[in-house]
Amino acid sequence: MHISSWKKPLRENKPLFNRGLSFWGGALSGREPMREKLEQFRSYLFLIPGLFFLMLFTYLPILWSSWLSFNRWNLLSPKPKFAGWENFVELWHHDVFWLVMKNKFFFVTISIFPTMFLALVFAILIDERLKGRVYYIYSLFYPTLIPMAAAAMLWVYIYSPNLGILNILLAELGITKLGWLGSSETSLWALIIMTFWKNLGFFMLIYLAGLQNVDRELYEAAYIDGAGWWRRHIKITFPLVGPTSLFVLVTAIILTFRVFDQIHLMTEGGPGNSSNVVVYYIFENGFKFFDWGRATSLTTILVCILLTLTLIIFGIFGKRITYTAD
Amino acid sequence: MEEKKYEVVIKIFVLQIAAIVMILPFVWLISTALKNPSEVFTENLTLLPETFRWANFVEIMDQAPFWLYMGNTIIVCVGILIIQLLLVIPAAYAFARLDFPGKDVIFLLFVIQIMLPLESIIIPNYLITKKLGLLNTRTGLILPFVASGFGTFMLRQTFKQIPQSLEDAALMDGAGHLRFIWHVLIPLSRPTIVTFSMISIATHWNDYFWPLIITDSDEVRTLTIGLGMFVQQESGSDWSLLMAATLFVCAPIIAFFLVTQKTFIKNFLTSGIKG
Repeated sequence: MHISSWKKPLRENKPLFNRGLSFWGGALSGREPMREKLEQFRSYLFLIPGLFFLMLFTYLPILWSSWLSFNRWNLLSPKPKFAGWENFVELWHHDVFWLVMKNKFFFVTISIFPTMFLALVFAILIDERLKGRVYYIYSLFYPTLIPMAAAAMLWVYIYSPNLGILNILLAELGITKLGWLGSSETSLWALIIMTFWKNLGFFMLIYLAGLQNVDRELYEAAYIDGAGWWRRHIKITFPLVGPTSLFVLVTAIILTFRVFDQIHLMTEGGPGNSSNVVVYYIFENGFKFFDWGRATSLTTILVCILLTLTLIIFGIFGKRITYTAD
Repeated sequence: MEEKKYEVVIKIFVLQIAAIVMILPFVWLISTALKNPSEVFTENLTLLPETFRWANFVEIMDQAPFWLYMGNTIIVCVGILIIQLLLVIPAAYAFARLDFPGKDVIFLLFVIQIMLPLESIIIPNYLITKKLGLLNTRTGLILPFVASGFGTFMLRQTFKQIPQSLEDAALMDGAGHLRFIWHVLIPLSRPTIVTFSMISIATHWNDYFWPLIITDSDEVRTLTIGLGMFVQQESGSDWSLLMAATLFVCAPIIAFFLVTQKTFIKNFLTSGIKG
């Protein structure tokens, strides 16, 4: 990203103002510095409303909670009191915190990459079918549209130990029934499977959009060279959908880091914190234990993780995502 | 390029299996929602109810004000969308076609917001909403979502692709920024705007966490929260009623996307969402 460009002398990259397109019409088309200043001021007018809400509900909260995370603020000390790094040190020595982090890491890696891979494969298969396209797209995509709360209820029923369709099917196949949400060994997996079902179609649709940009003649050429279906896609499609994959990856990271609804409705983090993940842990500390100091320090940690991921992703690929359409 | 016969068969087979596996939960949802409560408590797998019991829906309406919840959900979704568009379009225009000091830094602020969903900063947002006195109001449900980094990013990409010559022509005719946006940019960017609107509606129809923590009366609760409350009330005893309520919550949004599928798929596949 060329952040530095705004430091350059303004006149250099300012062709538009000199052509005189102005806020109210062609009347103000002078080249005097005063007019240019006025024009710039007017560009800010377009941004101010959006920027105001962006500051109020994104950046101000982050700053405030970073400050609060250095304060003790819970049922025992009902007013925030400066406490230095205490909250963070406590978390460091807290087993649940590390379990939650491990669960989160597990959830993110296990759910993102298989989902992305299968989403791409299905996108390719659907892209090659002209008949029944809408049927295939919607049968994979509809779970994305279902509210997570509703999907969670549906899957609580599906996972229900005695009446649930999964255990009934397992019994039919002669496999022992599983405890699913009720057992600490399977609860996280149950949530991952359900989240997979929910997100697959969305990623597939983004890939399908990306595939529309791939030049079909490349496949013709590879076909004439005798490359089979799998080889054609490994060699042509996979590299060419790189930018789309990046977009999917970012979306997937956001979706999995914000996971809350299904945990609140399906397991409440249990049994024994086996399915507790960061956002739910924050919620617990804030709204169940009323330990706002700890909840805000967790928020600070989460924001730092997200910003680091953003920096890594944009640092490596930034140019490509932001400026492909330029 | 010809596909071999066996290839076609395998591909269709794989797709069909995937489609059936994905659809099966929903079919089961519909069938349970229409079953007699007594019919649910058997371990026999029946996909079709013996008798269709529409009374399940009447019963859930008696137990919780689901129509009120739906009204609230619609108000909140439409409210968010309208304000989002009012904020996003001018901002995207400034980023795409104007030049001013600090442009890249401010744009970065919008882009970074994409990576910071409300869920991750829910605690300070709750505290701020409390300070503003917006707890348990529809305004409180709407405002935190109105600045959309995602929408700004998406529309900026589209606005950038509108040829400069159109802008020059508009200028020749004496149009200002606002008339250029209204008469040229918006009509030409319709597919992206429609796609963004549909994504926005689907996202906020599904919101659960935010309404959960800031609402505490039926007057402002949305469908998803209503469903969660209903579940607690029922405590998982009557699956056919629970599934009827679940179906009621997701039916409108699915119906909306099925009705508009042509527009949605065409727009989504051709509009701004590309790497």
